[in-house]
Amino acid sequence: MIQPHDSVIVRTLGHIVIPVAQLFGVYVLVFGQHGPGGGFVGGVVLAASMILSILIFGINAPNSVLARKMLHGDGLGLLIFAGVGGLCLIGGGQFLNYSHLQIPSLDEASQHYVGILLTQLGVAVDVAVTGVSIAVSLSFNEDEISLDEVTHG
Amino acid sequence: MSSNLPVLLFLVPFVMGVSMPLLTAKRRSWCPNLMLGTVGVMLLLSITNLRVVLAEGPIDYAFGGWAAPIGIAWLNDSIAAIVILTINVVSLISLIYGRVVVTTGLEKSVPYYTLILIMVSGLVGIIFAADLFNLFVFLEVAALAGYALVGAAGGKGLVYAFRYLLLGSFGASLYLLGLGHLYVATGTLNMADLAIRLPELLTSTAVASGLIYIFLGLSIKMALIPLHSWLPDAYENAPSSVTPLLASTVTKVALVAWVRIEYSLITPGVEVSHVPVLVLLEELGVLAALIGGSLALIQTDLKRMFAYGGISHIGLILIGVSLGNVTGFAGGMFYLINDAVMQAALFMIAGTVLHYHGAKTLEDLRGVGRQSPWLTGALIVVAVAMVGLPPTGGFFGKWNIILGALEAQHYLAVFAVVASTLLTLGYFLKIFSCWFHQPQFAESESLEVSGALRISLGAISVSIIALGLMSDSIFQFLLESVTSGGA
Repeated sequence: MIQPHDSVIVRTLGHIVIPVAQLFGVYVLVFGQHGPGGGFVGGVVLAASMILSILIFGINAPNSVLARKMLHGDGLGLLIFAGVGGLCLIGGGQFLNYSHLQIPSLDEASQHYVGILLTQLGVAVDVAVTGVSIAVSLSFNEDEISLDEVTHG
Repeated sequence: MSSNLPVLLFLVPFVMGVSMPLLTAKRRSWCPNLMLGTVGVMLLLSITNLRVVLAEGPIDYAFGGWAAPIGIAWLNDSIAAIVILTINVVSLISLIYGRVVVTTGLEKSVPYYTLILIMVSGLVGIIFAADLFNLFVFLEVAALAGYALVGAAGGKGLVYAFRYLLLGSFGASLYLLGLGHLYVATGTLNMADLAIRLPELLTSTAVASGLIYIFLGLSIKMALIPLHSWLPDAYENAPSSVTPLLASTVTKVALVAWVRIEYSLITPGVEVSHVPVLVLLEELGVLAALIGGSLALIQTDLKRMFAYGGISHIGLILIGVSLGNVTGFAGGMFYLINDAVMQAALFMIAGTVLHYHGAKTLEDLRGVGRQSPWLTGALIVVAVAMVGLPPTGGFFGKWNIILGALEAQHYLAVFAVVASTLLTLGYFLKIFSCWFHQPQFAESESLEVSGALRISLGAISVSIIALGLMSDSIFQFLLESVTSGGA
């Protein structure tokens, strides 16, 4: 069991660093098509920000609501990924052949753009969920996490 | 749409496995039917796939439209199609059986069904994969699900599941190491490219050691003697409902993976520093066949006995595919298909006996034969097939391996096949002498074998005999696919 941290410095810095880390994670995810980055890296950064919030504020704090919600998301990213691939299959192409992505009113360049972005989103969600799940299952017993209700403390 | 069959065969179980918790959140009782339905759909897809491959020849599947050297490729050829079909038939029958003989507590567990579907999808991936790294990924998908399934019932199974995990991960690391060697030496991991670039590089130590690492890694996965020690313990303690599935698919598919690598990379007569590679592999097969058979003979636990029987058959198949001629190769592959079906049948029988009679060892088996005619019938059919008598597929597989060995003039291999047949006969005699023994106690009430169990036992016996009756056409089909170079 990890106790919430009671140092003012750590908590204040947490308030500053965690949003920045999350923003950076999203940036890395979206920027992945133009430079270094992508779904996996973005997902790791997002997971790290959530693990940080668990370490500082505790799993049951209101600030860690995203991390708690993440634990329900097993396989969601995979379904996004398979869904995009499936849309390409329906369009008559191979799996993940974005030229055949069946999303209306997109030209071919945007098809590729949207297709890659969505699959990367799927990867990011899966990586983030896995990272948080590993951290939580290493540090908490199941009964210590109130998954359904937010406790204020 | 027909060109997308391979990826559909993979996606159907994978997506269903992942969305199983969502779909059954309200109704847990849907899980088994959903799983059986998914495997049923896969069976239809794999039959269609076989027909498409027969009509159009091998199909390269390029993910995302990127062709092989850049993109990820799958190869959908006749061997892949027929092995996939076998795996689907066997999985469907074993899972119908698994619905009846399920350990208490498991039937309500959603992760259990998810794991089964993910393992099946991993197996499909291994068979289709046309590059070594892709193969590694699916090997791990299937193996990780397999480790969890072995320990699914908890208790002692967990210990052996952990041991399986350690050894399996070690095997996977060795495979990855070997793959790195080949990549450094050739700059490609695509099997077709490797087949072009590798033969002239076989003198290089890096390539030779890479192939050795890959072989060692896969040997652990396929439980080739002396790297078999995880298998009997794991299968003895795994839940009875999944052992037929595990026993009939996991080791066989690892062997198929090796056969693909061996067939495309190691041409007959090739020598690495004066060691003829194929002869070496064949002799490892001889060892496995003889030692596995002997170890099976001295077991007293039914499941362990069958597990060692399976280990000795892995040796037989390795002999067949390493003889360096098409007769032996096709015979080995045909025997592999048979072995998948026979292993499923054996573990279904052992599981049923344990579930209904509480019989684990040979001693406990006394009098079982009098109470359950369906079980006895299935046992007789599978025994005939394991020993290798004519009406069943086992005979034709062994026969062609022997013909291939005679053609290659490897008399040690002939001896090994015949000797392992005698060993098999030996341990089945042990089983039968207990099976038909006078019961220890007064005749208990007749065993109520439920309908689904009868269907699965009947279906597996019918498939064993059907493989024998259709052996000629299947063998010719395999022979053609080998001679046309599409393995």
